[in-house]
Amino acid sequence: MFKKQVATLLAVLVVASLLLTACGGAETETAVPGTLEATAEPAEEKIITITWTQEPNTLSRAYSSMWYETVLSNVYMCWPWNYDENNEPYPFMLTEMPTVSEDGLTVTMHLRDDLVWSDGTPLTAEDFVFTYDMIMSPDNSVSTQYPYDMLAGIAAPDPQTVEMTFNEVFVPWLNTFWQGTLMPKHVLQPVFDAEGTIDAAEWNSAPTVGCGPFNFAAWESGSYIRFERNENFWGEPAILDVVVFQIVPDDAAQTAACLAGDADICYWPPYPDIPLFLDAGLEVLTEAGGYNEGWFFNMREMASPGVRDLNVRKAIAMALDREGNTALRENVVAVNETFWDAIPAYVSPDIEPWPYDPQAARQLLETSGWIDRDGDGIRENANGDKLTIKQANNTKEERVAYQALAQQQLLAVGIDLQTSAMESDILFDSFTADGPVATGDIDVFEASDVPYFPDPDTSYWMCDQVPTVDNPWGWNYYICDEYLDGLFAEQAQTIDQAARIEIFHEITKYMHDNVYYLGIWEDPDTWVVNPARVSGYKFSGVTPFFNINEWDIP
Amino acid sequence: MTAYIIRRLLQAIIILFIISIAVFLLLRSSGDPLATMGGRRTTRPEDRARLTRSLGLDKPIYLQYIYWLAGNDWAKFDADGDGTPEMQGTRKGVLRGDFGTSLVTRGKPAMEYIVERIPNTLLLMVPAEIFILIVSLAVGIYSALRQYTWIDQLVTTASFIGYSMPIFFVALASMYLFAVNFREWGLPYLPTVGMFDPKVGKTFSQVAWHMVLPIFSMSVVSISGYSRYARSQMLEVISQDYIRTAYAKGLSERMVLLGHALKNAAIPLVTLVGIDIPFLLGGAVVTETIFGWPGMGRLFVDHLMRFDTPVVMGILMIISFAVVVCQLITDLLYVWLDPRIRYN
Repeated sequence: MFKKQVATLLAVLVVASLLLTACGGAETETAVPGTLEATAEPAEEKIITITWTQEPNTLSRAYSSMWYETVLSNVYMCWPWNYDENNEPYPFMLTEMPTVSEDGLTVTMHLRDDLVWSDGTPLTAEDFVFTYDMIMSPDNSVSTQYPYDMLAGIAAPDPQTVEMTFNEVFVPWLNTFWQGTLMPKHVLQPVFDAEGTIDAAEWNSAPTVGCGPFNFAAWESGSYIRFERNENFWGEPAILDVVVFQIVPDDAAQTAACLAGDADICYWPPYPDIPLFLDAGLEVLTEAGGYNEGWFFNMREMASPGVRDLNVRKAIAMALDREGNTALRENVVAVNETFWDAIPAYVSPDIEPWPYDPQAARQLLETSGWIDRDGDGIRENANGDKLTIKQANNTKEERVAYQALAQQQLLAVGIDLQTSAMESDILFDSFTADGPVATGDIDVFEASDVPYFPDPDTSYWMCDQVPTVDNPWGWNYYICDEYLDGLFAEQAQTIDQAARIEIFHEITKYMHDNVYYLGIWEDPDTWVVNPARVSGYKFSGVTPFFNINEWDIP
Repeated sequence: MTAYIIRRLLQAIIILFIISIAVFLLLRSSGDPLATMGGRRTTRPEDRARLTRSLGLDKPIYLQYIYWLAGNDWAKFDADGDGTPEMQGTRKGVLRGDFGTSLVTRGKPAMEYIVERIPNTLLLMVPAEIFILIVSLAVGIYSALRQYTWIDQLVTTASFIGYSMPIFFVALASMYLFAVNFREWGLPYLPTVGMFDPKVGKTFSQVAWHMVLPIFSMSVVSISGYSRYARSQMLEVISQDYIRTAYAKGLSERMVLLGHALKNAAIPLVTLVGIDIPFLLGGAVVTETIFGWPGMGRLFVDHLMRFDTPVVMGILMIISFAVVVCQLITDLLYVWLDPRIRYN
């Protein structure tokens, strides 16, 4: 009897779970109209599925600096200006690109007069002012106040005009402001008034009121995010009915989903899988997103004598078979020479790429006094210091593989590369927490990083960013070079674009010739598209979904 | 028996309290929740200072634990960094049912995450566990009754192979075979990832269809292990005198095996299942990750990687509670299975 009861109970439990999850799924989602139940009918919807390997923390851009969220915001939110497939900005919500006052301290935006939120409420300059106020409010724990804390203030002289005033010239404004951060005042002001903060606003995870070509419909945590065509979109309406972002955290599973046709578009698949996609007739597209993988050299006083010697750094640049090593990425990416290769206008045309020339590397080391005196295959200087370089990166498989190749290639010229791999939060921990990079325990580290793309600005090599006890999170792990510091400071204040480009030519040439940074390879965004399922697609490196309203199903 | 249960429940409160302190200390000492908040860039020092204050991470760890346990609505905080506490705390603490809000999303309650994921996890894990138990027992008993026959040797070999395979390998291999290759070969194929096909919708049949591969993957490894236990226990029991006596009394083989042998052979399995059940709530990290199943395992890993203390603590405390309760139930089940056992 008891066994029968147990068996019945178990059977009921299984069926109930199945029914609850299948039919009651909407309960675990954000309650929005037109969610899953509506899709259960086999209607002739134009729907595409995109795999997303990282789930956004939130759908409010102000609360997340996560790249996967930044990209996603293009679908349901609107940016004043978008970037096309050549990463060139063009006005989107604006009648023209913003204008800058002669002193460079005021930027004025003129909004289109037909802008509306997806619920039909007019979108005006007041929404911009409100967004600024929310980001700067100490009561809201937004992920970053940059670049809004560069502003002295923001004003809305009329519903279609936004005036941003800076305390001092801030050249990178074009490529840093309003990247999906806009908030609907009519939705969030009442929340702020009632709760004193918008941290817990439902809109953050369910932005049912948006201004992009698609409207948020549902988000089941860990499973999918669904967007449906915004019928009130003020621009060219979207052709597709539905776009679903399926959360697939495993790379190999993402590849399988794309190969099996369960996903129509995959983002950032592993490079070794690219031949599989091509064999399956899928299209692989790469788009510069500003990132480059490179070796960052620490030349501070605590670094090893070897890495502080320019000739050693040059020898490293020539001893590494950087071109050959791109085989780790199926040879689909090029070697970069500078930190700014993704924005080539800013790179000096006079840069001569470091050749792969181990013999020249050996000669350079010999002439600069690094000789193998004890015959162990590792060179020493006149003081007997071994030419040992401590290199580190995080545990990403590809980087660990590169370490092995680099170790062999540098050993061939007498350089002992001692490698280590550790978790990113340990590697880049603060100076006071003895982070190995911050304290200079590491001579070289490998990472993929970016300036404020597509703006070239960065403060990585600024002297005031050298980590110390007083500035434990400073991010100049490299050197305080006053000449370079002056150039970086100058470019940040230079309004004239041609003059700024000239300064960057000087910066890139100087850093290249002094091997402050050694490019490993370009790190573009990679998209895999099933051309039988999607047409009309273009991708940008800044606003990847800039023309998603033109996408269709062939 | 009642006194025993009450004593165990009182012990459980102390155990849960100790677990909570240990896990909280480990979590708060092991990583920096602000490290990933800058997105692809390192979090700016200015933002770091502001977020540290607003998320209460500037307080000493013992105080953070007290706030987690008992709430902070009796304290004021300095939100703007001017040195003057002006903002009233709002958390009620775990003792009053408030597990706090996620550090990652800031506003979303930790328990909301957990409640969203538990049905998905149970949906996958309960049928998997039932399937594993039924097949393991059937295979183990069948194998034991035909000891050293070719079928026993075959089952043994298959069990060793299955048990030796890491689950990620089984999961990916089955995904490529039954989803990618079968489709390529024009055969009926299974879906790769997710709980349903977005083009069809979240229907009963879609969810059931998407459960096949995850359950298969988990079962291959677990059945291999459990069936070995079942076989060895059955072998031991069927050689006992009381089984011979039962046969001598003229009972049918079915009655002897199911009525006498299986019940006694099940005691070690009950122990194993008793340990397994609370972890059903924890989900299956690898399986859920590979198949994109939105369960508790993935929730745990995702938030652990970001050192999201409130969510991770919530999950661990629920699992700890389930472990304590299930162990108590397991002990009580022993009494039913073996009347010789007494708790006095």
